[in-house]
Amino acid sequence: MSGLLETIPFPAAGERARTRTRVDHKTSEESDLVRRIQAGDEIAFRAIVDRYQSKVFSIVYGVLRNHNDAEDISQQVFSKIYFSIRNFDFRSSLLTWIYKITVNECYDYLRKKRVRKLVYESDFSEDDAQRMEASDPAIDPGAPMDTQLANRDMVAKLLSKVSAEDRSLIMLKEVEGHSVEELAQMTGLNENTIKVKLFRTRQKLLKAAQRLNRLRT
Amino acid sequence: MHRVIEDRLEQVLAGNESEPAAAHLASCEECTTEVAVMRQHREMLRSLRGPEMAPRAGFYARVMERIELQRPISIWQLFFESSFGRRLAMASMAVAVVFGFYLVSSERFAQPVEPQTAISSVGLPDKDTVLVNLVTYREQ
Repeated sequence: MSGLLETIPFPAAGERARTRTRVDHKTSEESDLVRRIQAGDEIAFRAIVDRYQSKVFSIVYGVLRNHNDAEDISQQVFSKIYFSIRNFDFRSSLLTWIYKITVNECYDYLRKKRVRKLVYESDFSEDDAQRMEASDPAIDPGAPMDTQLANRDMVAKLLSKVSAEDRSLIMLKEVEGHSVEELAQMTGLNENTIKVKLFRTRQKLLKAAQRLNRLRT
Repeated sequence: MHRVIEDRLEQVLAGNESEPAAAHLASCEECTTEVAVMRQHREMLRSLRGPEMAPRAGFYARVMERIELQRPISIWQLFFESSFGRRLAMASMAVAVVFGFYLVSSERFAQPVEPQTAISSVGLPDKDTVLVNLVTYREQ
């Protein structure tokens, strides 16, 4: 997918062509830790947990806004890191990889929560279910009390409509505040590819918002 | 969305659009609307920014506990560590003991059999041949 995207010329390339600043993720101090974990060193794993636990917890809490859920999902994130670090291929930075796992776990949790809710609501008619889809919050089953809650609810719904990769990229850009250049370094992708991916994700979010608005009216 | 905005979307959303983008936005309702919605999404995404937080003390221990629970079980662990495996091992040992006891006891209580009886019980067709063989048999 990324290979294909890299072959598509980005419209602005002619105007301000930029080359990727290659960051070798294989030679950093962190990559040594990763290699040690891959070799079964649990002290190295502890170092990774100590280094990223606050970051992961804050990301999860930012999405779920619940302490117990944040604790549970953060534990799950590190468990996943432990079991799948053998597959880490150093193409992106460790933080990007961990960020992606974290965001995925949050949305998996929200999806499961939503499925449980829909199973419970399966006795309702299709019209009722559609109305609920348009009105019920994904995070908090209660009605949003203020604009901030409503925004978080809406954004959780919209983000659930895009792929895991697009979701983590747009969150790294907008929630974490990374620039396109930083994202290129973190992911190992071309800056133009990042821009194309961001544009497509924004378009998907726009369409998802239009669909949700149509359901509401 | 038109190309002129699409090409510079990140700058436009950040509010530092170039002159051609600003000129286009001033005249194109479609692009203005889409950019407005995308800016709104940007703000909504920022609402996910949480305060810097840390889990309760002992987080690493809790993670390791979860890892132990989720560690995949090998086939050997299934036999040697699970209750099913222990029961299976006990049952196998019980069967082996019963079978061994049966073998030993059936051997002990077996009646000694005379060679002639044994030969006759085989039911050979020609008894004379057997007798000739027995008579002519010599130990070497």
